[in-house]
Formats: sequence, structure tokens, C-alpha cells
Amino acid sequence: MAQFLFNLFAAFTLVCALGVVVNKNAVNAAMCLLLALVGVAGLFVALNAYLLAFLLLLVYAGAVVALFLFIIMLLDTKGEQRPGLKHASLVARLFAAALVGAGLLSFFARSRLPEPALGPASAAVGAELKLYAYQLFTTYLLPVQVIGFLLLAAMLGVIVISKKLDAAEDAP
Amino acid sequence: MNLDYAGLFHALRPETSLVVGALIILGLDLSIFRRHTPVERLNLALWIGALAVLAAAAHVWFAPEGPVFGGVLILDKLAMATRLGVLGLTLLTFGVASAAPAPRNPAEQVAIILFATTGFLLMAAAQQLLLAFLALELASLSLYVLAGFDKTRPESAEAALKYFLFGGMAAAFLLFGFSLIYGLTGSIELPQIAGQLFHVTLSPLLVVALVMVLVAFGFKAAAAPFHLWAPDVYEGAPTSSAALIASASKLAGFTLFARLFWREFGAVAGSVSSAHGEPGWLPAVAVIAAVSMLIGNFGALAQSNVRRLLAYSAIAHAGNLLLGVIAAGDAGPAPFYYYAATYGLATVGAFGVIAVAERAGPCQKITDLAGLHRRSPLLAGCLAVFVLSLAGIPPLAGFFGKFTVFSAALQMGGLAGPAGWLAMLAIALSALALYYYLVILKQALVAKPAPDAAPIAVPAIAKLALVLAAGLIVLFGVNPSLLLGLF
Repeated sequence: MAQFLFNLFAAFTLVCALGVVVNKNAVNAAMCLLLALVGVAGLFVALNAYLLAFLLLLVYAGAVVALFLFIIMLLDTKGEQRPGLKHASLVARLFAAALVGAGLLSFFARSRLPEPALGPASAAVGAELKLYAYQLFTTYLLPVQVIGFLLLAAMLGVIVISKKLDAAEDAP
Repeated sequence: MNLDYAGLFHALRPETSLVVGALIILGLDLSIFRRHTPVERLNLALWIGALAVLAAAAHVWFAPEGPVFGGVLILDKLAMATRLGVLGLTLLTFGVASAAPAPRNPAEQVAIILFATTGFLLMAAAQQLLLAFLALELASLSLYVLAGFDKTRPESAEAALKYFLFGGMAAAFLLFGFSLIYGLTGSIELPQIAGQLFHVTLSPLLVVALVMVLVAFGFKAAAAPFHLWAPDVYEGAPTSSAALIASASKLAGFTLFARLFWREFGAVAGSVSSAHGEPGWLPAVAVIAAVSMLIGNFGALAQSNVRRLLAYSAIAHAGNLLLGVIAAGDAGPAPFYYYAATYGLATVGAFGVIAVAERAGPCQKITDLAGLHRRSPLLAGCLAVFVLSLAGIPPLAGFFGKFTVFSAALQMGGLAGPAGWLAMLAIALSALALYYYLVILKQALVAKPAPDAAPIAVPAIAKLALVLAAGLIVLFGVNPSLLLGLF
């Protein structure tokens, strides 16, 4: 049953992710992204990581994709006609596809994947809110702090780059 | 896990100094100095920033060695040397920034440089995949913003966008590689991963993970074939940002990835010391190094723009540095550290000269440097030191850097294997590189100035920074043990 659910959600996620890439309409692509995230959340549930699945649905599927849709509608992008393939670009695509194909082929031909050399099973951090929060503020204290400063730097950058040139401000 | 919060705080005092400095700069600029001119605000921000960097350097110098917070960070000799090098290069970048025209948001620029430096410091010491990725992203994100800081020139926006798109892609590859490693070993701590991989042979999944991490490394190092962003970013970004991207970012990136590859993947390194070496990541790095040397040096020959020339020279130097990383298994990190640090000094200096020369007019083409010796003898002299060091002329530091890296590579197995061949290729291409470096010097030292070219006044702080950089290059070249003695 677990294997069946994994296959189901994995296939669902892959198909939806493909839809994000090939869809010409930006709104449809965003909706496909939403479905792909739901599929990933399903995979998390299959791993007993209920909290992560919940957070993924709440933050990404709920907030981030909604923001994407807002921005797409604000910019009013139409499904634009794609430029025809140039000769060089076609050759490059074929080459890249052949490279990936060869890699996958050799991967399957020699597919004696070793059993993951996992250590003693650690508690699933994403299972329970209390454990998750405890880990976040003890073991992973430093990464959380670094993310804080990363967001601060990003915010500074957004403000500086997106602020309109103001003639009055530039005058000495 | 041993959670020693006091120890963590002690170990992070350098980063804390930088971040506190950045916050003070932002606070003062928003409150007291709001009505001042951009030049005054820039100078104030630069002075506070320089104090923060000096405080951080003092903390680095007196920090105790050893793992911190259960091995999240490792403060070893390489970490200390890299942190000192990064802080020194940041200080010189401030000198470059003081020579360039003040941007519209001077305080934000200095604060973001300090955030980037914080990321570099963490990269130098990170021993955990999660922290390594976040430190890299903190630094990269700050650098993307800095590349697009000049809103008056569309080239700057183009540079930022290209850098961001390439960097985002590389970060995605790195994260995918890291997650595969976590899946294979069940750990994100470097020592545990190394212990797990010791029993594992080179499985297909591990190869995929290795390739993905290698892609991100190639991007960070601007090594071919992941180099395409470098010429546009060096050309379009504001001069001080380009100086930081070319120097401190390189040094920290090489330390991070050398630690990652040797500490984590040491068991699957393979071998390049004989013609029939074992498979592993070393042969792949050797190929990237050879391609970088060829593309960098031959690409630089065709350039007429100084900054693009410096970018292609950076790609060629990345190839030499990768050779140093290959040799680090036998010779230790000292050769590539010495190379990266002295290369950073020379590049920051060259960008500093460009920044000062731009005060008197545009300085994009090589011919814009014509007659620099008449317009400002000091500038021409400093440029000669930097460019000759990049070319590897004794007694400057660039010569000894090349010497120590190439001899370490030749000691790996002589001319019997790819490492030795690579060293010979690098030596031959260094001779070729002399041509395009001398083209710059010919314009600066021999050619006559344009009739309407005015003398260039060098501001005092920029003069200090340039003379300091040139002096350090001579000093480290004459007495390399000053840097090598850190190990």
C-alpha cells in the first residue's frame, strides 16, 4: 500500500511539474505548480512527516502560489507566441537531451543502487510540532539566524533596486 | 549533540561584529545623516564598515581553534587564514568604493557588502551542508544585489539579472546534490558523511550528487563551462561590486568547496597522478581546469575591454586554482590559499585603478588607459604591480603563487599523469597570458595620452588602499612565508 501511494503521488507530482514547464499560459502553469506541491505534500504524509506536509500546503500552496497568481495577473502576461527554434538552439537542445538520455540509460543499465547506508534511524523531525520547534531553536539555531540575515539582505536589495529614481532626492 | 551556546557565540564574534556594524550603518543613515550629501554618507558608512571589519579581524586572530557547536563550524588553520584574507580583501574593496562615485544608497551598499562578507566568513568555516548552503546563499544574494546597484546604467541591471539567473540555477543544482548526499548517508555533518562514504563505492547516485555539487562549484569559481556570467558581470557591475565578486568571493568559494570535496568526498577522489587513474571527482575537476585555462587565456586575447579582459583572466586563474585544489590532497590547502589570496589582492587593486581612472572619464576600453603614466604616475605604477602579479612575474606574489601551485601539482606524479600534463599546460598558457597583460601595460606606461585627457587626482583613501595592496603583493612575493606561515 505504501509503495502504491508513493508511486501514485510521485507520478502525479512529475506530471504536474511537467505541466508547469510546458504550459504556455502563465496562470495554468501556476495552477500546475499548485497541484505539484499537493503531490509533494502527499509524499511527505507517506513519510509520516505530517507537519511538513501541512506547512507545505499552508505556506507554498496557500501563500506563495497565490502571490504568483497575483503577480501574473498584475503584469497581465498573455500566453505569448514562442520564438521559433533557431538552428544553434535546436542543436543545443538535441545535444542536451542526448546527454541526459545517455546519463539515464547508463543509470538504468548499471542500476545496482546500494542500500542507503543510513545510520540508526533518527526521529522524524517533521512529524511533530514540538520536536520540530525544539530542533529549530537548538540544533539548527545557527542556520535559522543565518536565514534571518539572508532575508534582511534580500529585503534591503529589493528596496534599493525597486525604488523609483526620484529627482528631488538626487539633488545634493 | 553538545550544544554549547557560549562557545558558539564566542566563535561567531567576527560575524557578529560585521552584522552589528551593518545595522549601525543603516540606523545612523536613516536617522542622523539623512539630510547629508551622498558622498558624506558614503564616507561615514565606509569608516564604520572599516571599523567593523577590523574588529572582526581581531576576533578571528584571537579565536581558539577547534570544532564549534557540535561540529557545525570548524575553526582550523584554513578557516582562520581564509577569514583573515576575506576581511583584508573587503577592506580594500571599501577603498575601491571610496574612489567610485557615491551611489544613490551609499549606506545600503556598504551594509550589503558587510552582509556578503558575513557569508564569506561562514563559508570559510562551515562544516555542515545546511550551513554551507545558507552561507553561500547569504553571500551570493548580497552579490546579486551589489551587481545591480547602479540604477543609472542598464548594463548594471543586465549584469545583476544574468548573475542572478545563473546563480539561482547553480544553487538549485547544489541543493539537489546535497539532498542526494543526505539520502545516501543520512547525515548533513561533513565528518559523518566522510565516515559513511568511506565504505561506499562510486555508485551511480553518488556520481549524480558529485556532478551536481561540481556544477555549483564551477559557477562559484567562474570555471568553464560555467563561466558565461563572468564577462558580463565584470563589465556591467559597479566597480566595487566587481572587485568583491572577483576577489573575496573567489577565496571563500574555493575554501568552502575544497573543504567539501576533500573532507566529504575524499574517499571517492579518484586519482590523476598516473595516466590510468581511478575514477572519481579529481579527473572531472582536472577536465574543468584544463577547459578553463584554454577558454580563459584564448578568450582574453580577443578582448578590447579592460573589465572583460580581467574576467577572462579570472577564468584562466580559476583553472590554475582548480589545479591547486587537485593538489591539495597531497600538499595541503596552503598552495591554493596563497594563490587565491594574492590573486584577490591583485584583482582588487586592478579594479581600484579602474575606479579611480573613471573619476576623470570613462574607463572601459584598454585604450582609455592610454598615457596613464602622464596623467597619474602613482596609478600607473600600482597598475603595473597588479598586472605583472597577475601575469606571474617575479618577485611579485603572483609568481610565487603559480610556482607553489604548479610544483605541488608536478609532485603528484611527475609528468606521468594528467596532473603533471595540466601543470605543463598551465605553464605554457601563462607565457601566452603575458601578451594580453602587457597590452594593458603598454597602453598605461608607453602610449601617449589623448590630447584632451586631464590629470587624474587620486583621493587620499584610494591612494592608501592602492599603495597598501601593491605593497602587500611585493611583500608576500618577497616573503611568501608570511602567508604560508598561517598553516
